Amino acid sequence: MAGPEVSTPEITVLSLIMCFLLLAIPLVISYRIKLDIINSTASSVARMTSQLFLVGVLLTIVFDLNNWILNLVWVFGMVTMATYTTIRNVELKMERLFLPVIISFAITNLSVLLYFNEFVLDLENLLEARFLIPIGGMILGNSLRGNVVGMGEFYEDIRRNENRYLYNLSLGAKKYEALMPYIRKSLRSSLKPTLANISTAGVVFLPGMMTGQILGGVTPILAIKYQITIMIIIYVSTVMSTTFCILSTIRTAFDEYGLVRKEIYKRKK
Amino acid sequence: MMQDEIIRYEGVGMTYNSKKVLSGFNLSIKGGQKILLKGKSGAGKSTLFKMLLGFEKPTDGNLYYRNQPVDSSRVWEIRKEVAYVSQETDLGEGPVKVLLEEIFSYHPNLNKMDPQKLHILMQDFELEEDTLDKNYEDLSGGEKQRIGILIALMLGREIFLLDEATSALDSELKKKVAEYFLKHGEWTLFIISHDREWESENIRVVELKKQIGEGKQIGEGKQIRKGGI
Repeated sequence: MAGPEVSTPEITVLSLIMCFLLLAIPLVISYRIKLDIINSTASSVARMTSQLFLVGVLLTIVFDLNNWILNLVWVFGMVTMATYTTIRNVELKMERLFLPVIISFAITNLSVLLYFNEFVLDLENLLEARFLIPIGGMILGNSLRGNVVGMGEFYEDIRRNENRYLYNLSLGAKKYEALMPYIRKSLRSSLKPTLANISTAGVVFLPGMMTGQILGGVTPILAIKYQITIMIIIYVSTVMSTTFCILSTIRTAFDEYGLVRKEIYKRKK
Repeated sequence: MMQDEIIRYEGVGMTYNSKKVLSGFNLSIKGGQKILLKGKSGAGKSTLFKMLLGFEKPTDGNLYYRNQPVDSSRVWEIRKEVAYVSQETDLGEGPVKVLLEEIFSYHPNLNKMDPQKLHILMQDFELEEDTLDKNYEDLSGGEKQRIGILIALMLGREIFLLDEATSALDSELKKKVAEYFLKHGEWTLFIISHDREWESENIRVVELKKQIGEGKQIGEGKQIRKGGI
């Protein structure tokens, strides 16, 4: 990455320990006012630390090898995780929805990612590990959040307001016509957080990626340029993937009568 | 009279979670006929309408529309030809005008929106002119019901399924609505209602016996028919 090299202070084992000491504060608070978060704090922090160490080691290997097949496999692994997490979080059954969701995630996020690498970053190697993996992770993570809200609200709304949907069908609407108000509503809710994030960037907080780059020694101007482009691709990929996911799951989640299949829901009403 | 048969229920039954709600229901409705279906709540009256629209599938028996079995491809045709007013018309949220626009943007309803007809119907059914600008969710039960009836009439269809369509109206309005529907001889009406205003000489009353009382089955699902066939 361009920009003047400023040395980033090393984080030693001692620095890590110093940081972990800070956790004494929430633990004391929890103890004093019986917040009962001591166990969950300990397990969350332990999980986070070990997961990140593992990722750190793996990424070192993957970056060193920088083999395009391996990089793609890594990205597909992330896509699979994102799909799994989305469906689990919206409390729908895996079997019927996994395929449409994973295909939607893969197509939309990968195409935005490759476009970014080709036309924005102008990389020689589109599948360069150092860009493909972290940027892919960022857009996937955001797509996931958008989809949990979007898909979750869509299928919940259909179930809660089934009579409204059936009434629209009775008026002669095609399946997609009758579903359009639900699609619109859930897409709007899923995009709201992303839009709020975009419009407050730099005002309320310095976005994480930009902060990381500045810490890494990149000039603020280059860091904000990266941040602008990243926010745009996050928005675009969230819109695309949520739309695709909802539209593609409709094909499997509704029967030939246009009715939602009750068996896709995990919880009975 | 030699009229085409529109709807035929043949030994239709419905079982929910091994509970029999409906069994052996037979009925034939010909074009232009007016049928008033009566029976206790929970007897499966609404279910009979929903079956015809493909919202429920009968567990027993056969159902025909214009002499063809009601299946997954047929229901889409039925939904274009039949006007359904449900017990609680739920149009969603937002200004009535916008919701109506959406309905009349569906393919089979294109060009059916006639502002003059709408205006006259609103006057007939005592809806204020500004009802169209109000949010649907803010309307009273009676207003919502009249909007549902209005939509059914605006669609220009000739077969009507009216499920307690007038329950929230005052007696005067009930009468107006019933008269409006009944005066069209060519219309086929299949009505579920407890309102006496619907009972007139050219309507055939079909009584539906409740299948289950306190867990025991009573009766064999036979219909008592009043009036001439």
